[in-house]
Amino acid sequence: MSGPDTALPDTALVVDLWRGDAGGGGLVRYRVPVDPGQTILDVLTWVQRHAEPGLAYRFACRVGMCGSCAVMVNGVPRWACRTRAIPVARQGRLEIRPLRHFPVIRDLVVDFEAFFARWRRALGRFAPASPPPDALAVIAPDASDRQLVDAAIECIGCGICLAACDSVGANPDYLGPAALNRAWAAVNDRRDDTMGHLRAAARDGGVHACHAQGSCRRFCPVGRDPAGAIVGLKRRLLVAALKGRL
Amino acid sequence: MVTPSIETTTVDVLILGAGGAGLLAALHCHDAAPDLSIAIAVKGLLGKCGCTRMVQGGYNVAVDPADSVERHFRDTIEGGQWLNDQELAWTLVTGAVERVMELENRWGCFFDRAADGRVHQKAFAGQSFDRTVHKGSLTGIEIINRLAEQVLARSILRLEDHRALDLLPARDGNGMAGALLLDIRRGVFRLVRAGAVLLATGGGPSMYRYHTPSGDKSTDGLAMALRAGLFLRDMEMVQFHPTGLALGPATRATGTIIEEGLRGAGGHLLRADGARFMTDYDPRGERATRDIVSRAMAGEMRRGNTGPRGGLFLSMAHLDPAMVRRDFRGMVDRCADLGFDLVGGLVEVTPTAHYLMGGVMFRPDGTTSMPGLYAAGEDTGGVHGANRLGGNGVANSTVFGGRAGDTIARHAVAGAAPPEPDPAVVEAAVTAAIRPLSRPAGDLYHHRERLLDLMWEQVGIIRDGAGLAGALAELEEIGAGIEATGVAGGPLYNPTWQDRLNLGNQVLVARAIATAALARTDSRGAHYRADHPAAGPLDETTHTVVRLEGDRPVAGLCPVAFPRLRPPPPGCIGGAA
Repeated sequence: MSGPDTALPDTALVVDLWRGDAGGGGLVRYRVPVDPGQTILDVLTWVQRHAEPGLAYRFACRVGMCGSCAVMVNGVPRWACRTRAIPVARQGRLEIRPLRHFPVIRDLVVDFEAFFARWRRALGRFAPASPPPDALAVIAPDASDRQLVDAAIECIGCGICLAACDSVGANPDYLGPAALNRAWAAVNDRRDDTMGHLRAAARDGGVHACHAQGSCRRFCPVGRDPAGAIVGLKRRLLVAALKGRL
Repeated sequence: MVTPSIETTTVDVLILGAGGAGLLAALHCHDAAPDLSIAIAVKGLLGKCGCTRMVQGGYNVAVDPADSVERHFRDTIEGGQWLNDQELAWTLVTGAVERVMELENRWGCFFDRAADGRVHQKAFAGQSFDRTVHKGSLTGIEIINRLAEQVLARSILRLEDHRALDLLPARDGNGMAGALLLDIRRGVFRLVRAGAVLLATGGGPSMYRYHTPSGDKSTDGLAMALRAGLFLRDMEMVQFHPTGLALGPATRATGTIIEEGLRGAGGHLLRADGARFMTDYDPRGERATRDIVSRAMAGEMRRGNTGPRGGLFLSMAHLDPAMVRRDFRGMVDRCADLGFDLVGGLVEVTPTAHYLMGGVMFRPDGTTSMPGLYAAGEDTGGVHGANRLGGNGVANSTVFGGRAGDTIARHAVAGAAPPEPDPAVVEAAVTAAIRPLSRPAGDLYHHRERLLDLMWEQVGIIRDGAGLAGALAELEEIGAGIEATGVAGGPLYNPTWQDRLNLGNQVLVARAIATAALARTDSRGAHYRADHPAAGPLDETTHTVVRLEGDRPVAGLCPVAFPRLRPPPPGCIGGAA
């Protein structure tokens, strides 16, 4: 499949795919026929169905809801199912690699274990201090705390923010933007134990390990703002510390 | 030649599937009986597979004081065209009240609120009350995220990237011995020994040319149930959603849903010549129910009034663009990402296979006819009858998943040695799964295209006896073709091998669907026979049952009981007294 690029970009894309495993690997070149609607996921599917049956790649929902399919495309972390190939190709070329900052399992499939471990360490779950009431809480939709929760949830857990984050590259213990964004939603959820979540966000590797470069916000495919969440957590922690509540 | 390697894991409880049903079963079972060792297996990553996550609409539940579970029940039965198992439907509507409360207060789901601060409930088709609880139009993400993070925090063994190959009954015929799994990453078989097994893999009619379910769905649970000798009911009841994207065969986005609310908001469906047609079929036009709109569209498509990709067109261009952008932001963004304009342009659409109402026969507590085997969610049949109301799907998976978890917690004994599996069954399953790797590679996707096209054309929205009989013969041929096809690429995380295993299950369940559809000589809900267009007398309603005899699905008919609500007498319009 490899060889000099002689095809015109309007008939075939030149696609360099990273193939290998935890022990190492490299780029392999494929030519993929152009279709105007095709996504990065469709490019991978074409290669798997027509050229490389064993090509490992991950996807589930096909529509940007499950967060399974993110890969690096020409150096940028993107969701494969919602990224059309032609607009992101450079002179008809695509270089697709596994998601940065994630251990490789095989080819383009990465291990999410550490991603979810961070979520757990950030107390990324509903953990109220008292037993649940037996009625649905009455909370005005325009209350400021509810609006902060709304802005933070609906994260699809795709890992793109973690792949984009330079702080996590420098400090693997850093909880990272997705987990802290979850913590921020919990801190603003009046049904939850907000102080408990705040303390978890303050631990080693917590909010103070963020260097505020904002890549997480820039690359989030669903418009979340983990950088803003981390700023909010830092501010809330400062207030709590001044009041002696930490 | 590949030598199979088998590893053994022993637990008290094995849960197959990690959608709404599987996750809630795991949480309920663990919290009710913390001493039980529980494993949950999922084809991909926990919290990312299955269709609960893809729920847009929301969750039907009678929590408004002006509403009642009786009304929800009646809507569910009338929507199901009197085919539902009424005890299951009653369990659904009463269980939904408890479960929504639990989702909010125990697991942390944060549903939208109305202006007065109470939970917001929106209108959804086929319901006499606005009772659909939701989180924007991404309700499933909120539910699955909150459940998955709770599972992550508990000592529950996660078997990710593991698919189930077959159920393993006990060697002595007494209960369940577990299931044979395949570790997709490592290409290693995993024999999970467990005396309690929950089937919660989700159904999903992914064997149709146009389909909505998640890409991991391949009716594995239903196929395993058939092979294990269980009865499936209502398999002919395949729900088609009127608007899926028609973008041609080159993209996996084809078949995925375009939100129903767009038609509710006034969207028009157009033929290729630009003319509306729905008003010719129903006075409600585009706002008619899913089955009527899908059938009208299928008719227009058969007559060839189609666009370049074989579909019809959805147009919102005559409506206020600011409204469309505001109320359908997610859909507008999705269309824009895929390269077209939902607000001002034409979107080519087709009806698309969405949900299997049919499945394993089971009881309200999650038990099945096989001791030790439990079932919940879209793997089961009987809850929805001939047609599922939008908003009753996620209620089904979460209500019955939790209940199955409770039942298993009562039945299972921590540390009890599971029964011995039949080694011949294990060996046969391993051999069948590994065989494609040692056969010469063939054109697997040719068989897949044939299967999807045949189901679409002959076992789809409009059916008839001759077409179904012909389809059954052709499905056998396609099944044999798939069976004979080898796969290259080796055992490690090989998506082509996985597709080959998927197709084996899909073609078997396709045969079950066609068999049931041939047996049902009337038209109800999602099932329409052009040669038998009448619904038949409601008080003599029967449901189909399919099981495997040898390797061939056979169908029977069983009367439906009406313990809670009787259908209206013949000639009477509207509901019963």
